[in-house]
Amino acid sequence: MKKYKSLELLEQLQADTRQLILEANYLKTTDPGILLQEPAPGTWSVIQVLQHLNSYGNYYLLAIERSLKQDRLAIDMFKPGWLGDYFTKLMKPNENGAIAYKMQSPKDHRPHSRPDAFPVLNTFLEQQHYLLELLESAKEKNIGSIRIPVSISRFIKLKAGDVFRFLIAHEQRHFVQIENTLVTIKGITNKYPAILPAIQR
Amino acid sequence: MAGWQPLECKRKTILTAAGETERYLYFVLEGIQRGFYIGDDKQEATIVFTYAPSFSGLADSFLTQTPSKYFLETLTSSRFLRKTYKEIEALMNQYPNIQKMVLQLTGFVLKGVLERQIELQCFSAEEKFKSLLKRSPHVLQIIPHKYLASYLGIDATTFSKLLGTVRL
Repeated sequence: MKKYKSLELLEQLQADTRQLILEANYLKTTDPGILLQEPAPGTWSVIQVLQHLNSYGNYYLLAIERSLKQDRLAIDMFKPGWLGDYFTKLMKPNENGAIAYKMQSPKDHRPHSRPDAFPVLNTFLEQQHYLLELLESAKEKNIGSIRIPVSISRFIKLKAGDVFRFLIAHEQRHFVQIENTLVTIKGITNKYPAILPAIQR
Repeated sequence: MAGWQPLECKRKTILTAAGETERYLYFVLEGIQRGFYIGDDKQEATIVFTYAPSFSGLADSFLTQTPSKYFLETLTSSRFLRKTYKEIEALMNQYPNIQKMVLQLTGFVLKGVLERQIELQCFSAEEKFKSLLKRSPHVLQIIPHKYLASYLGIDATTFSKLLGTVRL
């Protein structure tokens, strides 16, 4: 399995997170009516996608913060675990920004039907800034030996480095969905494809 | 340059996002960077360019250690040396000459910002265009023209018209 220099991996993940912040800032300047519109019956609006991401942030950011309190000093190289690597690859959009495997979201992470646009966007942005800080403190820690239970079962634990990787890959995946949703609703090609450059790295 | 950490970035990497507090002072060895603000209607305003050999980073956020309102990105793949705020602060406390140098640098940056403020408020599109090319003619070759237009606060089409008509 591919090994990463821990510091380089964390900085890359920070750059990816900043890209998501940029995209969310563009969304903030978009008409809320468009953000709340479902592209087809039974599919998610942009805001519902963000709500879905926020529900994961609620769980993982706290779980990461708690785990980073452990006193385990940084290591030079990070080797992904097989399960963490598998989850990340499953989530991550490919280089053309296409999503390989469609999947169903678990019930308790489905958004409710009538969210308010700006609070959801602001929560998303707050969570991304929190994530940036956690990535920063992770530079001092052993992201290979600290383990974090996944949201579907507390008996499955992944390496902290892998949790960061798949959490951000999951967000990128859904930002591809957001860009596609906006294209469907507005009938134009997206003016600000902010996610693609991050994936192509 | 002892104690400066090297950093390499690909093009279109965001170094600091709006809402973050600038952690580093960068010295640019290679590449071009751009500071930009996102306003309503997806309007982007280009605030500043940086390139080798000079400093980069969001200076206001860095010096005040308060959150930035705008982004810093690389336009081309870039190489830097960088130091954290804490390291710079410690250096300034230890060596009065370094503190003097930082103050002087800040002064020149402030002078540049205020002169640009005058241009933005009082100059016509053509005057802004001429003044930029007189001050930094090389930017025409190294920075995409849409960003130069955004820096001057003029339309991209106006910019290319000026490029075709204005005699320097």
